[in-house]
Amino acid sequence: MTGIVLSLSKATKLYGGVPAIDSVDFDLRRAEIHALVGENGAGKSTLTKVMAGVVTLTSGGMTVDGVEVAPKTPLEARHLGIAMVFQENSLVPTMTVAQNLFLGQEKFYNRLRGIYIAAQQFLQSLNFDVTPTATVSGLGAAKKQMVEIARAVLHNAKVIIFDEPTATLTPEEKKYFFDLVRDLKKRGVSIIFISHALEEALLLADRITVLRDGKHVVTDDVSKFDRTRIVQAMVGRDLSNTLYGAPKQKVRPSGRRVLTVQNLKMAPMVKNNSLSVFAGQITGVFGLVGAGRTETFKIVSGVMKRDFFHGGEVLLNEKPVRYLVPAPAVKAGIAYVTEDRKVEGFFETASIARNVYLGLLAKFPSGRAWMSRRESNAAGKTWIERLKVRAIGDEIKVVELSGGNQQKVVIAKSLIQEPELIIFDEPTRGVDVGAIVEIHELINKLADEGRAVVVISSYLPEIMALSDRILVSRQGKVVEEFSALEATEEKIMYAAIH
Amino acid sequence: MIATIREIANRILGRGEATITVPSFDGALKPNQTLESATILLECEAPEDLATDGDSLLIADGARLLRLAGSSPTTVRTFERPISALATLPSGGLAVALSGTEVHVYDTIAAKTPASVFTGELHAVNSLAPASDGTLIATDGSSARGVGDWARDLMELGQTGRVFLLDPRTHTTRRLAGGFGYAFGAVASGSDVLVSESWRHRLISISPHGAIRVVLHHLPVYPSRLVPATGGGFWLTAFTARTQLVEFVLREPAYRRRMIAEIDPEYWVVPRLRSGGSFKEPLQGAHIKTMGVMKPWAPPRSYGLVVRLGADGLPRYSLHSRADGVNHGIVAAVELGGDLVMIAKGPGRILKLPLSAISEAARP
Repeated sequence: MTGIVLSLSKATKLYGGVPAIDSVDFDLRRAEIHALVGENGAGKSTLTKVMAGVVTLTSGGMTVDGVEVAPKTPLEARHLGIAMVFQENSLVPTMTVAQNLFLGQEKFYNRLRGIYIAAQQFLQSLNFDVTPTATVSGLGAAKKQMVEIARAVLHNAKVIIFDEPTATLTPEEKKYFFDLVRDLKKRGVSIIFISHALEEALLLADRITVLRDGKHVVTDDVSKFDRTRIVQAMVGRDLSNTLYGAPKQKVRPSGRRVLTVQNLKMAPMVKNNSLSVFAGQITGVFGLVGAGRTETFKIVSGVMKRDFFHGGEVLLNEKPVRYLVPAPAVKAGIAYVTEDRKVEGFFETASIARNVYLGLLAKFPSGRAWMSRRESNAAGKTWIERLKVRAIGDEIKVVELSGGNQQKVVIAKSLIQEPELIIFDEPTRGVDVGAIVEIHELINKLADEGRAVVVISSYLPEIMALSDRILVSRQGKVVEEFSALEATEEKIMYAAIH
Repeated sequence: MIATIREIANRILGRGEATITVPSFDGALKPNQTLESATILLECEAPEDLATDGDSLLIADGARLLRLAGSSPTTVRTFERPISALATLPSGGLAVALSGTEVHVYDTIAAKTPASVFTGELHAVNSLAPASDGTLIATDGSSARGVGDWARDLMELGQTGRVFLLDPRTHTTRRLAGGFGYAFGAVASGSDVLVSESWRHRLISISPHGAIRVVLHHLPVYPSRLVPATGGGFWLTAFTARTQLVEFVLREPAYRRRMIAEIDPEYWVVPRLRSGGSFKEPLQGAHIKTMGVMKPWAPPRSYGLVVRLGADGLPRYSLHSRADGVNHGIVAAVELGGDLVMIAKGPGRILKLPLSAISEAARP
């Protein structure tokens, strides 16, 4: 069963004359897990979109089971047995799980009951714990992922492509996902998965292909790779020591207490949560999805509201505060860098300069009725330089940037407000390794400047590399605190689960 | 009128003063059990305060002044009344507060008669410390209640604490500042005076002119005495931790009035220096024990804590004895010969911890 199920030869895709992928040769074996890694902009997504019929090749060829094909639409690709699970899932949020599963396969007359029974049986056969009658919008990231996978399997896909499948999953959910992928492999399905987390590629894949700047760099068995070799292949330089480096030998001492959260409640996510954040320190907050981390800090920054009755207390610089909207929190010196940058982080069709300038406008005490183009351009130019945003110019639209550069724009939008307390929620999610290093350096610099920094992350190496103190959250409250000097992955995970 | 409406609304909504929350022990105050590993130097009947002349340890134990040099204590002198505060002076002298109402200053530790005696306004002197200008700083916990009646002062929301400067050269007393919620502990910090205000859970700095600046707010404990630490900064002791139960009772005047009138003070809902002696002790709305074992994280009726403060007054690290510990009610600490010596008033112990071990074990 080692025959080639899918292959690409000399695959080239040009966008406006610029190659996104350039003469890439790629082959996928039957019942193989194949990891595709590379920095943002390396061409991973374009390559997989070609396979999934989302884009067509400018030149080169593609075969499925030895037959020359050129799918022009996702439907054509699906008929060839190729399904793609996107990073931003493609489910319809207002429909139920069962309706999403059978979307596009409806008959002339559909009995809901029949769909639900079929969906239930199918989900059970995959051992997926998802209720078919549940509305998709109410599901967590992991369950949405399950529905996406189930849909792909339901369509008899022999090749399933996952784009950053674990970005939104907690460590426990990741383990479950890995089991699932291995199970699919046993069923004879070939898997391609794109991931920025190299440990996942090393752990899960049979073979790894590395792309750089749209070109194929290397494909080899996983046993012949280690972290350093992958990183070197990805970026052409050795970053392994700077990225999630050795355990901390020294931590920053805590300064004055900037934020105090006492008995904060927001049913059902935050339950009597209490914590402090100190100046001149990075406070890492770790927890599984549903641990109430994001919600707690969204309440602090006025994005969400605590319970109306007995909702607890938030003190900023020892004074009680209650923000009903984010604007007063911004003015008081709190910046929240969202985990969902595409929805909450920026206006994707606005320019970098305009987005950064919007951050500044939020800081003005009584708002602004007009916008200064000169100020906007100056802000854009300054922050593009300061955060090393890689863009052709400050007028380029944010949607055209890579994930790492988009994240830098979101950070710039917050930093221009000169915050005293800055909260990073999953700061490097969907960001390439080069940008991770730069974002980490920036976060460290902010703490060294004396600002109170909070980093919420589901990725343990990131939490351990950045934090001076680590708060572990479980079921809506902080349950454990570790100094970075005493923390180990095992201790943190134990506290997060038990 | 608006304040009344706001107060009613706050009570209904659980906001403002009615939030009834207690800051968490985190950051530099992250709990440990370091105090439970301390060596017991001595067990006393009523230890109250500590001082050192650099070679030996002076202990105020009830009315007795003990000297500990080596393993066995010797009685330096027995006073007619209990000692409520003790301090050695840079000149080699000794200052002793008796029952909180009188301060005697001696030229030497062994001197028989005091060189100066201060009385008058003093009512509940609980801490003495030499000031940089040669005077003696005295914190007077309450002008309404005696030095041993601090729990009642708390239940009455006492705000009559004062800080005095006693000048042994001119035999004069100057009131530096007042209106404190139980002033308990002071130390000279340059020309200013750093004072613990127990009922307001904070540290304040008082300038020579009486101007007050808050150094540390919202402590999760009731701070007590302060002493200088080697290498700059201070040691702050805290005689117990705050709990939501006590915070709640402090918001209920009618309940407090009845409790004071009808219940044996031993079983009042107040902070304690020791606990676990009787099933009648008031519990908080949480399980204290599981399978007969005290949970260390249970809401504590009594607690032991010493905080190492930096020169800026901010906590650096702390030593704890949690709910399941014994060394509770830490009221005094002093550095002597590479050790930190403390009084755990709850069990009546003088404890010793090597400073080198503390810095390794307790630093976060």
